[in-house]
Amino acid sequence: MWIDINAYTGHWPFMQLKYNTCEALLNRMNTYGVDISVISNLNGIFYKNTQSANLELYNEIRSNRRFGDRFIPFAVINPIYAGWQKDMEECKNKLGMKGIRLYPKYHDYDITDPALVELAKRARDMDMVMAFNFRMVDSRQRSWMDIDYVVGTPKKEWTLKNIFPIMKAVPDAKYMILNVANGLDLNKEDNASFKKMNVLMDTSGRTLTDLGSLLRSYGTDKFAFGTHSPILDYLTGQLRIAALRENEAGEAVKSLLRSGNARKMLKL
Amino acid sequence: MSNQINRRKFVAHTAATAAGVLIGNRLKGMSRSAEAATRPPDKYDIMKETMKYRKIDAHAHIYFTDDSPGTQLDFGERLGIEKQVISRYLSIFPGTPEQFRKYNDLTIKAIKKYPDHLLGGFVLNPEYRKESLEEIKRCMDAGMIGPGELYYQEKINNPLYFPIIEKLIDLKMIIFSHAECQLGVGGYRMKKYNGYKAPNTSIPEDFVDIAKRYPEGVFQYAHIGGGGDWEYECKLFRDHPNIYVDTSGSNNAENMIDFAVGHLGEDRLFFASDNCYYQSVGKILASNLTEVQKRKVFFENYNNLLRKGGRNVD
Repeated sequence: MWIDINAYTGHWPFMQLKYNTCEALLNRMNTYGVDISVISNLNGIFYKNTQSANLELYNEIRSNRRFGDRFIPFAVINPIYAGWQKDMEECKNKLGMKGIRLYPKYHDYDITDPALVELAKRARDMDMVMAFNFRMVDSRQRSWMDIDYVVGTPKKEWTLKNIFPIMKAVPDAKYMILNVANGLDLNKEDNASFKKMNVLMDTSGRTLTDLGSLLRSYGTDKFAFGTHSPILDYLTGQLRIAALRENEAGEAVKSLLRSGNARKMLKL
Repeated sequence: MSNQINRRKFVAHTAATAAGVLIGNRLKGMSRSAEAATRPPDKYDIMKETMKYRKIDAHAHIYFTDDSPGTQLDFGERLGIEKQVISRYLSIFPGTPEQFRKYNDLTIKAIKKYPDHLLGGFVLNPEYRKESLEEIKRCMDAGMIGPGELYYQEKINNPLYFPIIEKLIDLKMIIFSHAECQLGVGGYRMKKYNGYKAPNTSIPEDFVDIAKRYPEGVFQYAHIGGGGDWEYECKLFRDHPNIYVDTSGSNNAENMIDFAVGHLGEDRLFFASDNCYYQSVGKILASNLTEVQKRKVFFENYNNLLRKGGRNVD
């Protein structure tokens, strides 16, 4: 069984996306052997009121009963926008969303903003997973209207160091780190803390060149299959797992990567 | 009869809803219905698909490190890449003859040690015309197949390159250069943005310029997956049939390959990694190309051009 912890529906304003509806994504899943996908609505990154996007996603999933069996929706919440606490409650209790994806750069707040810390504590108490990512698109192909964290410039794309402060502030919450496209380096103390946390990194990001070594460094419970679809191609995240050799990951470990670690975090 | 149908439906739907059973609490407001249950996904063996295609990696690199080329060869074995065209791009300035000879010596050593897996590409600096032309002969005699990734020293359409390019055309070699395309690089909104790139970085417009000057030349535009604006690149190259693109780079954007084939045709793409091996295989497997088209991109397009110079690998 394959569970994709990093997929989306919705639009990217600066480039036409393919396979960005539940129907198209489900076809992709059926073609390439993926059983379940954790999805959010990309529109929530760009709407000021993200709850509109969460309701769009909810209604899309409700529109066809096949979708309910195969998709796990995550909400998009902006903790510096009015009413987010009520939105979060509604997403969890009325819309059945199991987690939250957060976009500090797009929603323009700091990773240590007190509102985010409050959200993280609520998420922990509500047993909701929080997902952050290094980047949404490769900044070198960004539109002039996109955010300006750019590879090779003084204002760089994020690394794990940029995300870790919120994890350090609320260490007993559940985290997903998605599209690991840049460095994982932390200082010795933080790295030790990170390894003890309940965190999953998905396999879509370009930094996971040598997954075998990363499994040894971080543990086999820290990674899970992800595609970053429809922004990245549907198969690279799967290939990184399937191509592991027996001495890097036996069948039991591969099973954890394909779905076991995701099932555990999502309580499936 | 109706009982049999019902039993079949029951069995099918019971098997089909493994994912649905896992998503136990389901979306609020939705109830389970056997009639509406989704079918299970098809079985897909990605390693079988990966190994099905012969591959020439038209853009890879080796380094002055102890693990090179071992690391590159290991990826090749893991993903069924039969040949890798390696070079050590001239990342050092100013790029004197002594420096490019040293870089090429590294490549020569590697291709002699692993002739079944590695093809060599040489580097040079057109600011040193005589020495560069001599280096082409030295590297060709050592078994290299053409230039590796030419780099930041000069733009590919700089007149300093003309005698080099004319020699490469005579030798029926593929003319291969690094290039970039993003905000603040070259003519792409340079006045408003700073791309923090070397001033002589080749851009798509430079390729169009040199390709028009030498219509008999075969030009390889490096890494449409190198992070740059691949839509811009493919649209610009559409009407310049002697510009080929390699698919390498760390960016494996969905639809990149389909878009490139749609604009350039199925014959003008070379599979390549730039040492980003998983993305480079994954993006082609995930495309909508037919098997025949995938065979072309993974192997035949590049090999057919090598054949013109008698350097094909089949």
